[in-house]
Amino acid sequence: MVNPATAETALPAGMALEIDGIRHAFTLEGKPLPVLSDVSFNVEPGEFVALLGPSGCGKSTLLRLLAGLEPPDLGEARADGAAITTPDPSRVVVFQDPTLFPWRTVRANVALGLEAQGLMKTRAHRIDEALERVGLGAFGNVYPHQLSGGMAQRAALARALVNDPRLLILDEPLGKLDSLTRMSMQSEIVDLWRRDGFTTLLVTHDVEEALFMATRVIVFSERPARITADIAIERDYPRHRSDPYFADLKRRVFGLLGMDATW
Amino acid sequence: MSDSALPRYAFAAPQRPWPGVLLAAAVWAAAGALIRIWPDEADFTRLLSTIVFGIAVALSLLAAAGPYLPERAAKVRFAAPWAIALAVALAAWEVITAKTGYLPRPFFVPPQELLGVFVDDWAKLFECVAHSVLLLASGYALGSTLGFLTGLALGWSKAVGYWGHPILRLIGPLPATAWLPIAFFMFPTSWSAAVFLIALASGLPVAILTWSGVSSVGGAYYDIARTLGGSPRFLVLKVTIPAAMPNVFVGLFMGLSASFAVLVVAEMMGVKAGLGWYLQWAQGWAAYGNMYAALGVMAVMCSSLVTLLFQVRGRLLAWQKGLLRW
Repeated sequence: MVNPATAETALPAGMALEIDGIRHAFTLEGKPLPVLSDVSFNVEPGEFVALLGPSGCGKSTLLRLLAGLEPPDLGEARADGAAITTPDPSRVVVFQDPTLFPWRTVRANVALGLEAQGLMKTRAHRIDEALERVGLGAFGNVYPHQLSGGMAQRAALARALVNDPRLLILDEPLGKLDSLTRMSMQSEIVDLWRRDGFTTLLVTHDVEEALFMATRVIVFSERPARITADIAIERDYPRHRSDPYFADLKRRVFGLLGMDATW
Repeated sequence: MSDSALPRYAFAAPQRPWPGVLLAAAVWAAAGALIRIWPDEADFTRLLSTIVFGIAVALSLLAAAGPYLPERAAKVRFAAPWAIALAVALAAWEVITAKTGYLPRPFFVPPQELLGVFVDDWAKLFECVAHSVLLLASGYALGSTLGFLTGLALGWSKAVGYWGHPILRLIGPLPATAWLPIAFFMFPTSWSAAVFLIALASGLPVAILTWSGVSSVGGAYYDIARTLGGSPRFLVLKVTIPAAMPNVFVGLFMGLSASFAVLVVAEMMGVKAGLGWYLQWAQGWAAYGNMYAALGVMAVMCSSLVTLLFQVRGRLLAWQKGLLRW
C-alpha cells in the first residue's frame, strides 16, 4: 500500500537515523550516574537493528532519547537529518509493559494515536486493519484486563502500527512473555517489518532473539554503555533457529558479553 | 438440574408457588390480623391493618406468579427472609407501643401514628424534600465541580500545587459547620450561605482525592500518549482525567456524606425550609411522630442519592469491574 503522504514527499518507508556522540547521565542521590558514554552509529532506512547488552546498561535510555521523550546531555540524534527534540508519531515506542489504558477498550486503545493527531475522521478504518494484522480482530470491544500478556502486547503493537510509523522502537517488548508466545511474536514482528518497510530498533538482552530477528546487532558494554561490536546478520528471511550460522554467532556474541566461560 | 435438558413446553402442568414468599405472605396476614383484632386507642389502626393485608395479598400473588417470571425478576424471592423479618418487627413494634403501651408516648410512636403523619402532612413533607434536594444539589454540584477543577489544577500545575497545598492543608481539616456563623453573616441570604457551606463540605474531599488521583497517574501513560502525538490538552483530557476517575469518585462519595451533615445543620440553623427545618420544628412542638417520619424520609432521600451516585460510577467506571470488587 502506498501511503499518499509518503508518496508526495518521496520519503522511504523507513527512517534514517544518525546517533552522534551521545552522552547521558542520571542523577542518583545527588551524584551523576553516567549511562551512555559517547555512543555513535547510523541506521539506514528500513534496517532492523537490535541493541544488545546487559540489563541496566542504558539501552532503554537510548531509546527514550530517540523517541524524543528526553533530550540527551551531550551529542545529537537525528531523524532523516533533523535533530530529535520532541516526540513524534512517526517514531513510535512499544515498551516492555503493554501499558494499555485500562479504561479504554482494545479498539479505543489502538485509536489513541489517531485521536491524538485528529485523524479519527479520515483514518478510522485503519484501526480494524491494525487489529487484524496482529490477530486481534475479534477482540476490539474487550477491555485490556481481559487479555493475556501476549494479546496485550499485540494490542500495544497495533496501537503503534496504526500510525504508520517510519521508525518502530521496541523496548524489550517480549521480555515478559512465555517462551512459546515469544517465539511466535518474534516471527510476527519480523513479518510486519518486512511487509511495511519501517526502520526498527529493538532493545533486548536475549541474544537468540536479536540474532533471529535483526539485520544488524549492536552490542553494548556494561554501564556506562559504549558500543563493543556491530555485527551484520547475513541471513535471508524466513530464518531458522537451528541454522548453524546462528550457533557460531551466538558463541561470539556471548563472548562479547563476557559469558564465554559458560559456553 | 436433570429436567433442564427436557424442553420446558412439554410440561404444561402449573408450577408450585414460591414457598418462601408464600410464608412471608402468611406472616404479613398474621401481622394484619393482630393489628386489626387487638383493640387500641390510636388513630389510623384500620388503615394500617388494611395496608398490611394489602401487602400480604401482593406477596401471595407474587408467590403464585413467581415461577413464571423471567430469571432476572425472579431474584426478588431472595428478599423473602427480609419480608418476614419486617412483618415480625412491625408486629412487635405495634405490640409494645399501641397495644400494651409498654413504651410510653409521646417519645415512642406506634406505626399507625407515623402513617397518620404521612396521610395528614404529606404535602408539607414533600415540599421539604424538594427544598432539601434542591439545596443539596446546588451546593453539591457547585462544590464537586470546583473541587474537581481545583484538584486537577493542583495535580497538574507545579505553581498551583506550590500555593494551593499549604492552604488546603490548613483549611481541609476544618469542619464545614465551623464556618456557619461567618457564612450566615457574610452571605446575603441564608439559602446562599447554605449552598456555600454544602459546596465547601463536598468540594474539599473531591479536591483532595482528585489531586491525589492526578499525582498517582503513571508516567508510562504520558510517555505513550506523547509518542503518539498527544498535545498537553490531549494528555489532560484523555490520560489524566480518566486515570484519576476512580479516586475522584472516592472523593465524590466522601463529599456526598459530608454534604448531608451540613445540609441538616444549615437547615436547622438558618434556612427556613427543608427536612432539617421540619425536624427542628417537629421537636419544638413535641410532635415526635412527625420527627420520626422526617427521619425516615431523610434516610430514604440520602440512601437514594448514594445509590444514584453508585449507578453513575458503575456506568462511568465499568472498565474497573474486572479489576476490583465493590
